[in-house]
Amino acid sequence: MTESNDPPKPKGRGGKMKDAAKGVFYGMAAHGHVTAALRTRMYLEHLFMFITLGDMLGVPVIPPYYALKILPYAVPNIKSWKQRVFRERDFTDQVF
Amino acid sequence: MVDILATPFLWVVGTIVLYAIAYWGYGKWIDRNVWRSDAKKATPAHMYMDGVEYFPVSRYVLWGYQFKSVAALGPILGPFIGITFGWIPALIWIIGGNFFIGWLQDYGSMMLSVRKEGRSFGPITYEFTGARGRTNLLAFVLFYLIIISAAFIALIASFWNAFRSTFIATIGILFAGLLCGQLLYRVKMNVFAVTGIGLVLVVASIYLGVLFPLPSAASWPFGVWNLPFWAFIAAIILYLAAILPTPTFIQPTNYLAFYPAYAAIILILVGALATPFTNIKVQMPAGPFLFDPQGILGPIWPILFVAIACGAISGWHSLVSSSSSSKQLDIETDALPVGGGAMLSEGLLALGSLIAYMVLAPSFFVGRTNVTAWVAGAVVLTTPFLGGLTTAVLTTFFGLVLIIYALTVQALVTRFFRLVAAETWSEGRFRVFGNKHVSTVVGLGIPWAFAVSGSWWALWLYFGGANQLLAGLAIMLITIHLARTRAPTRFSLIPGIFMIVTTLAALAWQTATFLYSVYAYLNNDSSWINRNVRPPIQNNKDYILVAVGINAVFVAVGAVLFAVGLSMAVRLFRSYRSSMAERRARAPAAADGGKRES
Repeated sequence: MTESNDPPKPKGRGGKMKDAAKGVFYGMAAHGHVTAALRTRMYLEHLFMFITLGDMLGVPVIPPYYALKILPYAVPNIKSWKQRVFRERDFTDQVF
Repeated sequence: MVDILATPFLWVVGTIVLYAIAYWGYGKWIDRNVWRSDAKKATPAHMYMDGVEYFPVSRYVLWGYQFKSVAALGPILGPFIGITFGWIPALIWIIGGNFFIGWLQDYGSMMLSVRKEGRSFGPITYEFTGARGRTNLLAFVLFYLIIISAAFIALIASFWNAFRSTFIATIGILFAGLLCGQLLYRVKMNVFAVTGIGLVLVVASIYLGVLFPLPSAASWPFGVWNLPFWAFIAAIILYLAAILPTPTFIQPTNYLAFYPAYAAIILILVGALATPFTNIKVQMPAGPFLFDPQGILGPIWPILFVAIACGAISGWHSLVSSSSSSKQLDIETDALPVGGGAMLSEGLLALGSLIAYMVLAPSFFVGRTNVTAWVAGAVVLTTPFLGGLTTAVLTTFFGLVLIIYALTVQALVTRFFRLVAAETWSEGRFRVFGNKHVSTVVGLGIPWAFAVSGSWWALWLYFGGANQLLAGLAIMLITIHLARTRAPTRFSLIPGIFMIVTTLAALAWQTATFLYSVYAYLNNDSSWINRNVRPPIQNNKDYILVAVGINAVFVAVGAVLFAVGLSMAVRLFRSYRSSMAERRARAPAAADGGKRES
């Protein structure tokens, strides 16, 4: 997952080793599954955004009145949503 | 004191030392002088961070993820065929192939994708070779996936058939996966608790498998149709894995399967390192044999180089490196530990497997049909320090590990095939093949037919040929990028040419073998035909024409793989030549102050 934004605390050699071991274990056991779950959520969110704010991308689905009501809640997602929807996707992106 | 030279111990230590030189010597040098990786340069993970696909991940996490994604059945079974030519050539290829080509490909694909804004190989191929090049790649990948599926389904069926205690254990793990998925996502139970329950169920499955092995194959109603039946069961499980939503089935199952699979790797490596103390000696002949002593496979070049695929070099890794890992790389200098490091670690897995074969008697390898040899070797290596466990338990455990490796990877391959099919046939006359059920049935049905008819090593060599060819093509893409950015190209150009020539030669040799078999049949010698097929078709006079037909199909498959691969290689070489011409025509390198990478 994303790293936290807190300033990193200085760690001794033992602490670093422990972090590395934890990281490797997490990477092997769960990282792929976590990203897969995130991707599933992403597709659902895309659907929601398309339905509610589709007219932003030229796909009006519901009347703008409702879109306007939802807008404040959707604002944090808009930038990355546009970025993801417009990104070129290829079959080789879907190996994992 | 035991005779340390007769044990595999020194070879293990020697390989580890050479891999260390590959990483800290050659690897760091390439990283600094060819790619000029720069920790300060923004990677796609930072440039396009969206918290879903693009986000920076620590190099340890990414190394673990990359290693898990690339390590599978390839390094375990490849050495089984590779050892035909003696274990010394096999060992040299595992060391040398990884040293000069393997890690370079994984690392290079990752760096290429990072420098190309995290794009994967499809768009990069499009950029370098045009729309036709990308279509060509798509066609190649479709064939490649069918051949992988055929080889893996054949192996799963053979394993179930050989280890009667593993079927119940496999089914137990699948159910445990289903249950854990429900607990995790429906009941929303804590992940540690679910892991605990899952692991208990895994152990219970193995125990149940040992306790209630299936009756011996002789008492079955299917008789000679045992293998096709097992392959059919495998295909049904894979169909479910490809169709059901991932969190329901495949994802929790893969998660649970991780634990026994990695325990097995660690046990084998420990067993290989402990051989001076356990007094286990090398029994296989060292070689080198320039031709297959059993007179079937042919010459050492090119066959050995495609038989040991993953572990020395594998094209699948380039897809993984460029598809998701490159989008999550924190800093450029992490590409070497993640891409290169994971590949070198996989070389160690191949080494461990080779050693598991080395300590067996040569009689295990007669006819090359005894795919259970790895399990026997693993039991030999680990029994001395796991004395409390009986051979039956260890055999079930290692047999199960083989099956879950094959099943989990094959589930991903089937899903990927489905997506590629949807991409290829989403519109137009053949759009029915884009349907998820139809494409999955096709993506399992054709491989099933191959799996039950052709002999597994014939399929394995096709798989190895296609896989290594993909690696060669990936290295050529890397080389073109280096040429365009005026970086030194020869360190990847030479391996690229070597891989492409070798694999095309191997595919041609295989195709010619099948062709010769048909020719020999027409001259009243059906021994070759029979060698290339499986029971019940094998050695059955009533089915001889079916066997000839299967051989003909194999000729066609080989010819298509060869042709598609060759045309892709030609496109890439042309693109490389024009890139070099452009590079020479541009201002001299000194004019930009020696800054090669743009």
